[in-house]
Amino acid sequence: MGPLIPMGFVNPELNLFFAFVIGLGFGYVLEQAGFSSSRKLAGVFYGYDFVVLRVFFTAAITAMSGIILFNYIGWLDVNMLYVNPFYLWSAILGGVIMGVGFILGGFCPGTSLVAAIIGRIDAIFFVIGSMIGIFFFGHFFDLFESIYSGNFIGHVFVFDSLGIGRDWFAFILIAVALIAFFVTQIIEDKINKTSKEIRKHRPSYLVPTSIILFIGVLLLVLPNEPRSKIHENGPREILQRMANGKHLVPIDKVAYSLIKPDAQDLVLVDVRSKEDYNHFSLPGAIHIPKNEVLLPRYKDFFASAKRIVLYSFADTDATEAWMILSRAGYNQVFVMEGGLNHFFAEIFEATIEAEAYDHMSQFQMRFREEAQQYFREGKAAIKPEQTPVPVIKQVEIEMPAGGC
Amino acid sequence: MKTNQKPYMNSYLAGFLLGLVLLSAFFVTGRGLGASGSVKSIVISSVASSAPEYAETNPFYAEAFSEGPGPMKNWLVYLTLGVLAGAFFSGAMSGRLGFKIEKGPRITTGWRLLFATFGGLLFGLGAQFGRGCTSGAALTGMAILSTAGFVTMMAIFGTGYMVAYFFRKLWIS
Repeated sequence: MGPLIPMGFVNPELNLFFAFVIGLGFGYVLEQAGFSSSRKLAGVFYGYDFVVLRVFFTAAITAMSGIILFNYIGWLDVNMLYVNPFYLWSAILGGVIMGVGFILGGFCPGTSLVAAIIGRIDAIFFVIGSMIGIFFFGHFFDLFESIYSGNFIGHVFVFDSLGIGRDWFAFILIAVALIAFFVTQIIEDKINKTSKEIRKHRPSYLVPTSIILFIGVLLLVLPNEPRSKIHENGPREILQRMANGKHLVPIDKVAYSLIKPDAQDLVLVDVRSKEDYNHFSLPGAIHIPKNEVLLPRYKDFFASAKRIVLYSFADTDATEAWMILSRAGYNQVFVMEGGLNHFFAEIFEATIEAEAYDHMSQFQMRFREEAQQYFREGKAAIKPEQTPVPVIKQVEIEMPAGGC
Repeated sequence: MKTNQKPYMNSYLAGFLLGLVLLSAFFVTGRGLGASGSVKSIVISSVASSAPEYAETNPFYAEAFSEGPGPMKNWLVYLTLGVLAGAFFSGAMSGRLGFKIEKGPRITTGWRLLFATFGGLLFGLGAQFGRGCTSGAALTGMAILSTAGFVTMMAIFGTGYMVAYFFRKLWIS
């Protein structure tokens, strides 16, 4: 479902409204955390105040865990999220320059804005300085361009770069954060010579720590794929199914489902052209042309638990559509054997001859005889509305643009 | 201007709330938070309006204009307006509004402002190379588990710790 704006759930006009609301929360929390104070911010480098590390690390693991859990539940598609591009030397050089800037200025751009608005004059100077820095970069862009856009590694994930799984990386990051919280508290107490009296009155972090550890383990055991993720089938598997004829549904079954829509959970899909479908089709059938079966709006429909039977005039087009859908991982999709031509020839127009020998053939023959009567004489009372047509959401997807 | 200041929020609670803000940013827009981007937009807009000929010949500004419907209409600018409003509200609620300069005990006001300006200059420059600052590149980049985010974060704080000793006079006694 999410991210809402790139998935088209929210009017793009509201984009900027959301930006303002999210900014409100961002600014409020930063100020409340003490990030409007350069003395507090710089404390992380001298050991007298580790508020930066605590807030920063807690925020990172909270958001990370949230993203992973939301992705698993299906609320957030990680493939739609913006992953920072990695230009090796530019990222390192930028970080080094910002590190020096942090020590000298005592702020970073976000915190300087927060401090400036509540009247910290040093922060106002910092903001002016950062504007000069950006202008400087722009003015000498020619000189910087080769390093700025060189050594592009891609929009890569850190766990891929390290060659470990996302689950393990997330768990290790949470463990490192907890250890860092513990160790920095000891360092902070030593440097500030915190009295035992104050230390005693600290809140107990037993419950939050247990919760964080639980989440860490949860991230470790959760599958990386979303719960509802469709797993693609390999060509070998598809070939196997075709060879066994397991993808075919006999016309009798289709006929039976038309006579008794409640008894079978078949959903018929006509993959022919729009004109052909409008000319005639089977009652209750949904029309999805062959070349549109992979459109995002049909994703939920094909992934539903019902058995979906594709058909065309013969079964060539339906089989093509079936192959595409099977390759994409939809295992509840089948093909009506022989297509519409076979269906009409055998059910509607066949002359029934009582010459069958074995039990099964006799049974089939009798069924077809009855089916023919039903269809011809209208006893079946087939109404399209008896077969519920699934509602298919029309969602156009666009990829998100770049960030900060 | 002395007022009764309320204490700061518990750091872990603040971090948790900041994480939720970041998560909601991802949930709504598909991208995280950022601050330096809006400062960049302001610089680009002011340069473009005051010296359009200069902006036209410079590839840095040309690239910024090719990206969308004018940099001032940028998502990050509205985010920053929210940041300013939220921070002002918080400061007002907690009695922290008022003009003052924070500095270490061993440095004069003049030097503090000079270093703040120079620090800002470096941060503005570095944020261009890093394609984002501490919020846009490091925090957001870490939450989405991007390599760039972790590398930039480690470079910022690693360098900070390496040079902290030489600039200790700015902050500690």
